Amino acid sequence: MGTVVLKDQFEIDDSIPLVGYDSPTARAFACKNVADAQSGLVALVCDPNTQMRVELIEALQGFPGTGLVKCIDSGVVNWVPSGRRQPVLICEKPQGSRVFETLETVIQPLTDEQIISGFLTPAIVTLREFSSRGLTHRNIRPSNLYYADDSARLIMLGECVSAPPGYNQPLIFETLETGMAIETGRGMGAPPDDLFALGVTLLSLLLGRLPVSKIEDPYTFMLDRINIGSYACIVGSHRIQQNMIEILRGLLADDVTERWPLADVELWASGRRMTPKQAKLPPKAARPIPIGGVDHENIRSAAHGLSRNWPIAGDIIRGQDFDTWVHRSLNDEQTINNLNKAVGSTQAVQSVPKAEDGRLTARVILALDPAGPIRLGGFSTHIDGIGATLAMSFNDEALRNQISELITSGVLKTWLALQGRTKSEIMNLYGIIEKIEGMIGLPGVGFGIERALYELNPYEQCMSPMIEHLYITKTAELIPALEAVAQGSQLPPMPMDRHIAAFLAAHSEHIDERIMRPLAHKDNRPADEALKVMRILARVQSVYSNGAAPGLCAWLRELTKPAVEAFNNIKLRQQVERQVVQAAETGFVVALMRILDDSKVMELDRENYRKAQKEYEQCSAQIHRMDAGLEQKENLAGELGEQVAAVIAGVIASIGTTAIVILYLT
Amino acid sequence: MANSSANASATKAIIVLVVAGLLIFTLPTVMVLMVGMIPTFIAYATDRRKEKYKTVSVGALNFVGVLPLLVTLWTKDHSFDMGFSVLSDPFNWLMVLGAVSAGWTIFLVAPTFVAMFLTARIELSVDRLKKRQSKLVEEWGDGVSGDRKANQMRQQVDRDESDDEGEGEEEEYEDNNG
Repeated sequence: MGTVVLKDQFEIDDSIPLVGYDSPTARAFACKNVADAQSGLVALVCDPNTQMRVELIEALQGFPGTGLVKCIDSGVVNWVPSGRRQPVLICEKPQGSRVFETLETVIQPLTDEQIISGFLTPAIVTLREFSSRGLTHRNIRPSNLYYADDSARLIMLGECVSAPPGYNQPLIFETLETGMAIETGRGMGAPPDDLFALGVTLLSLLLGRLPVSKIEDPYTFMLDRINIGSYACIVGSHRIQQNMIEILRGLLADDVTERWPLADVELWASGRRMTPKQAKLPPKAARPIPIGGVDHENIRSAAHGLSRNWPIAGDIIRGQDFDTWVHRSLNDEQTINNLNKAVGSTQAVQSVPKAEDGRLTARVILALDPAGPIRLGGFSTHIDGIGATLAMSFNDEALRNQISELITSGVLKTWLALQGRTKSEIMNLYGIIEKIEGMIGLPGVGFGIERALYELNPYEQCMSPMIEHLYITKTAELIPALEAVAQGSQLPPMPMDRHIAAFLAAHSEHIDERIMRPLAHKDNRPADEALKVMRILARVQSVYSNGAAPGLCAWLRELTKPAVEAFNNIKLRQQVERQVVQAAETGFVVALMRILDDSKVMELDRENYRKAQKEYEQCSAQIHRMDAGLEQKENLAGELGEQVAAVIAGVIASIGTTAIVILYLT
Repeated sequence: MANSSANASATKAIIVLVVAGLLIFTLPTVMVLMVGMIPTFIAYATDRRKEKYKTVSVGALNFVGVLPLLVTLWTKDHSFDMGFSVLSDPFNWLMVLGAVSAGWTIFLVAPTFVAMFLTARIELSVDRLKKRQSKLVEEWGDGVSGDRKANQMRQQVDRDESDDEGEGEEEEYEDNNG
């Protein structure tokens, strides 16, 4: 236990937990600014498995007013209690306490005056600022409200960064559209989603507790909200002052066009009063359609029913009853047009093979409820919630496969075709999804569902099992992280895996397809794999210039030993071994690569080796021939010896003859 | 064609007549030569080789042994009496047979010396080649010799070489190394 310093600026004391400032996915601890000890700060040590809205930290810089618990900075610290690195948010510490300690807490109901001046007015200012920056809070609920000071007059909204949008929101605080999606897939939404949550929070303050304490069955609850309206369902039998009914009806309207915009809320807060409007319910069909034993009287209800009864939905859609219900009972031209756009004519629906039932159902649901979440195979998400869902459920194979199916099924094209005006952020996201659609099925390292994960989540930590505990979110941090792994006693087989490769490919502009593609081709020889990895890591290290990594180099040296041993010439091999040791000691992967990746030297060595083999072979053949000659030397020597004898005898005879002639004739 | 054949026959006839004339006029010489060269005739009779090295070896030194007898005959009295006198001298026969034995000795000993020389020369060459092979192994390792294990390792590394080629080489190496 002790303190840990973030960015040489914030001192976090892990021995002083501030339970009152915890959020569902982050624990609060005492924190002080090293330069200014008087500053009231709180450090939220976040759950590393929960995705944070990192993009909001930058976007909310310079946020004016006191209506929001502002996030000042963020980073990653070595968190001793958990024994790993964890993300930390440094937030302003509200002077007062939390309004609702928990969602179950019951407080003294606030008066109209307290609500309007103490909560609604500052909240309007805060939400207007959010709206002007093109952002949403998506975390407005009673348990995320704080009193701005001890006098408990002003209420401020809590932080909205530590979890995906809407992730911690109970179902009653979500609109019909976002509430039908799974928690991680609720998406960033739009200002009207915040206004709905504001309305339910206002109601909670008015009642002193949540209006709906417990939801037994979320499906039935949402179905009731669809059929009788959220206002009726949430306010229920609670007695509300007449003057509050107007704003609650305005904020809890299910139809976005009916829901009050900020300007109306502001006018109401400043004193304008009108007769409360009745909530507008969805148009009913002439007769209900039974789906899974439940009668559905409107299109959104039918869509919800189909999404709940996935196994039989295909048969229902193909059935004559459904066609008749849509074309005759419903009598809604827009829905018929949507269905034609999504799945084509009745004949086209009939011709869809049984195996395509899932996709057919997803398209029909989208046609019935284009504003709702995209539902496929019992899983539902908004398009901007796909990334967060994938990140937070990556280890859930079933969900991972569902997301993969969703991206490749073409259902998203149908979704886009059915949307009216779409935000530019969503269009950018759709562009990314189109890009990864072709990659998701590729089996190679650097592609597949891992690539989708990092392309969809630009701030996501690298989930590689070898460095996950180090919480790496930037490619510049990769080499130091691998160096830390290399310093450990148990080394993984390779300093690269599917996650690291995908993380690099998605997050680094310096690592392109050309560099990654060789990794996709599996090589049987470990040294070749290691060399490919080394090339990538050398590039990463040189691009980010983040210092020497002698441990990583030693690791790579071990892995590339077979490459060194592949040198045939013993002297050259020994020389390369010496050079590799020296290069590894420098800690720069590129130095290692220069030695081991010199194809000219390797080719020359191979060529000379072949020549040496040939020469050895020729020597062997000559020895063989000579051995054979030695065995036949008697024959050879016999003939040659006789020849030699004849010559010698001839020479002696010539000399003798000459001598005799000279001797006798003189 | 007919003319050239007739000329050749005429030349042969002239040579035969000349030789016959010479033999008639040098009969003592012919007699000594025929008797003295008997060892050569024996060598010729036992020489199976086409090149007749044995005949040449024995004959050359046999002639050297007979030559003093002929010179004696020519310088003293070229007659049959003198011829018989020369042939009946045991010292003369000692000289002739001595020369013949020298010829036989040379013929029988020379192959042994030649074999020794050839063996030495081959062994020197083999030593030189083996030294070169050792140097290659020292420089390139056991794999260069076609050692199976070492070669398998090298072949794994060397992707450029096809598997068939590699196996072919291996078999050759095995053959070469017995």
